Amino acid sequence: MDRRKFLKQVSLWSAGIIITPPVFNFTPKLFGSPLIKPDILVAKGEDYPGLVRQVVHSLGGMQTFVKNGDKVVIKPNIGWDRNVEQGANTHPLIVAELAKLCLDAGASKVFVFDRTCNEERRCYNNSGIKSAIKEIRDKRLRLEYIDDRKFVPVNIKKGKVLREWSFYKDALEADCYINVPVAKHHSLSRLSIGLKNVMGVIGGWRGKIHYKLGAKLADLNMVIKPELTIVDATRVIVRNGPQGGDLDDVKILNTIIGSLDPVAADAYATTLFGLKPHQIKSTVEAYKRGLGQMDLGKCNIRYLKA
Amino acid sequence: MKIKPYLKQVRRLSQLICLVIFLFLFRQTDYTGSDTIPYAVNILFRLDPLVLATITLAKKTFVTLLWPSFIIIGLTLLFGRCFCSWICPLGTLIDGSGHFIKSGKASVRLPYLKYVILIIILISSAFGVQLLGFVDPFSLLVRGMVFSIDPIINYLVSLFFDSVYTRGPAAFSNITEPAYEVLKTFVLPFKQSFFYLSFLSFFLLVLIFIMEFFGKRFWCRNLCPLGGLLALISRLSIFKRIPVKACKNCELCESECRMNAFDKEHYFMFEECSLCMDCLEFCPDNITTFKFSIPKNKSSVNINRRQLIVAGLTGLALPVLCRTNAISKTPDDDLIRPPGALDETDFLASCVRCGECMKVCINNALQPLFLEKGFEGMFTPKLVPRLGYCEFNCTLCSQVCPTGALGRLNVKQKHAFVIGRAYFDKNKCMVYTEKKSCIVCEEHCPTHDKAIKFNEIKIRDVFGNSVLLKQPYVVEELCIGCGICEHICPVQGEAAIKVVGKGGAREFGSGYG
Repeated sequence: MDRRKFLKQVSLWSAGIIITPPVFNFTPKLFGSPLIKPDILVAKGEDYPGLVRQVVHSLGGMQTFVKNGDKVVIKPNIGWDRNVEQGANTHPLIVAELAKLCLDAGASKVFVFDRTCNEERRCYNNSGIKSAIKEIRDKRLRLEYIDDRKFVPVNIKKGKVLREWSFYKDALEADCYINVPVAKHHSLSRLSIGLKNVMGVIGGWRGKIHYKLGAKLADLNMVIKPELTIVDATRVIVRNGPQGGDLDDVKILNTIIGSLDPVAADAYATTLFGLKPHQIKSTVEAYKRGLGQMDLGKCNIRYLKA
Repeated sequence: MKIKPYLKQVRRLSQLICLVIFLFLFRQTDYTGSDTIPYAVNILFRLDPLVLATITLAKKTFVTLLWPSFIIIGLTLLFGRCFCSWICPLGTLIDGSGHFIKSGKASVRLPYLKYVILIIILISSAFGVQLLGFVDPFSLLVRGMVFSIDPIINYLVSLFFDSVYTRGPAAFSNITEPAYEVLKTFVLPFKQSFFYLSFLSFFLLVLIFIMEFFGKRFWCRNLCPLGGLLALISRLSIFKRIPVKACKNCELCESECRMNAFDKEHYFMFEECSLCMDCLEFCPDNITTFKFSIPKNKSSVNINRRQLIVAGLTGLALPVLCRTNAISKTPDDDLIRPPGALDETDFLASCVRCGECMKVCINNALQPLFLEKGFEGMFTPKLVPRLGYCEFNCTLCSQVCPTGALGRLNVKQKHAFVIGRAYFDKNKCMVYTEKKSCIVCEEHCPTHDKAIKFNEIKIRDVFGNSVLLKQPYVVEELCIGCGICEHICPVQGEAAIKVVGKGGAREFGSGYG
């Protein structure tokens, strides 16, 4: 390669940098569709993988969500450098069981990730999720660290407060997105459940959206629509959330909630803390945007016996 | 003798192995999934007799962490300065650079300088001022690598792969991405790191190699204080080269010697010899050999009385200069030392500026000081919360410190170790100024009784609506100064909550826990 050729190639390569990044447009698929009476499944017991299987089975089995060859994203909460007992992250057994079900249903790829608050390697390790995923030993299943290159700006067309934010590409492109939040106390939003869990797939300076957080969370949830929400309420932090740390603040409820309706799942989980769904702003705002049902009277709540 | 040609290969192999071990340990100086680092990644500094000497003089006690340096002392007593040509990774890199840097004949000969430097740092360390970090070969090497070489390499490599990934066609990135992943797993650091003083550290390291233009092993022969110390020890060693004088009519060994280990009268100066054994190869008549014998030194050490006196006085003057500098009396609000750090005076005396703590810091939060605390504090670590915070459950920096300047902490001790305190700037905090809800700081505060709490008060917001607002405040006694609040504060520029170091804290107790 001579100098001229080299310079030419360099300028060609760098020319690409000037081109603006692609902007993804997402019109909410379900927006405006009449709310059907959603199912909320509640399972209690100490065999968490068993509960997960039961809930998923009662919702129609994993094959209703995951088609053969689908790319699946399982989005737990791995936000904090806390261990399983401290309850700040989704229980690893629940995440692992969901991953297994997706693999069995024929998923071509199953991604598990979260944009953490503490250092990511510490969070993945200490949460127990890394070792739980590793044990499954399937090449299709990958626990990945967030790759900053994959954040793409998204126009939130129907967003009321937030009109644009960057989202994680894998989450946007998933054929099936399974939200697996842990239910816990949160000092600002009162509770952090499924709708709040979307913060793990967005880019940017997340601290900036804490003003009008409820409305902004609802806007963000217009973009990411989970096919399935499984709420981990096996151990919930009732004070000093969202990261807790003190075992005295952790209440063991041994409960798993499953629903296709993200708002209904949050609404039910709220009651476990002795609160009403309308007390959680993100739930109300999401309901207003037609993202789901928050009136538990209009939901079909089924309790599963272990 | 048949073994002769092999000796050079054996030495090179030894150098290569030591270099590979060094690079491996360098890469292992990181979080690898376990709370404790499984390898003695700081071994290079603990092997360094100069670290042992200055730390012992400065602290007036023996630091047990440094016992491995007796291995090197023992080895030197046996085989002389073999460390320089067989083990030292910097020496290996300098030798390796010979392929790119064509050294002229050793025109500049200043062998006394290394003794001068040695005496200066030894005397000033006895007065509690640790200057070793400026001249210790490993401090220079590791710091240069941590602050500049490693980030530069990672930056360039990721720049290539990132451009292919984001701008190139998918067909390309399908090939490059797996390669990138392999590199990331085995060669590259986990994250791109950023350091202050990257330029200076780079320059200082490169300078050592630039000096090669003035003769092979210029640094080792003339400047390296560790080489100087080992040279002095090696005068007692029992493994020597003979003959003691270069043969007339030949003198090939003298002219080829990378260490210039011959004086003007062509006498061999054993303490300058690094036992590279190359002269075995040159020697046309196989006269040169190495064998065990009782140490007796005909030549005197390469330093004269005047140089000795100047060195001694400089060593005395520097500590006084440091102590009388106004900086030593200026309050140091924003100087946050890493967890486990000794009291400031002891810390400065014990820190050899190796850069290990800053390398291992999981959030790239520890940064080198420049002249903020004077010459004495240069290259010592401080926490810069806006760049990164101190991870609550992480104790890595205290594990890698070779001298105990950062005392080793377990997780429980770490949770209670106060490195600073946080204070609100209510003129910046948007809860107070704009009456907006936020409390991101409270959310992130990791202590088990949160050091940041809030009052819920009813106020009128900027639109006149009556709202409940959560106003955060700090409970000083619970704060350990980890800085996560300052790090994540969404206020642009300087944060609305700031951590000050011990020097700036109003109350200084034992912290929470």
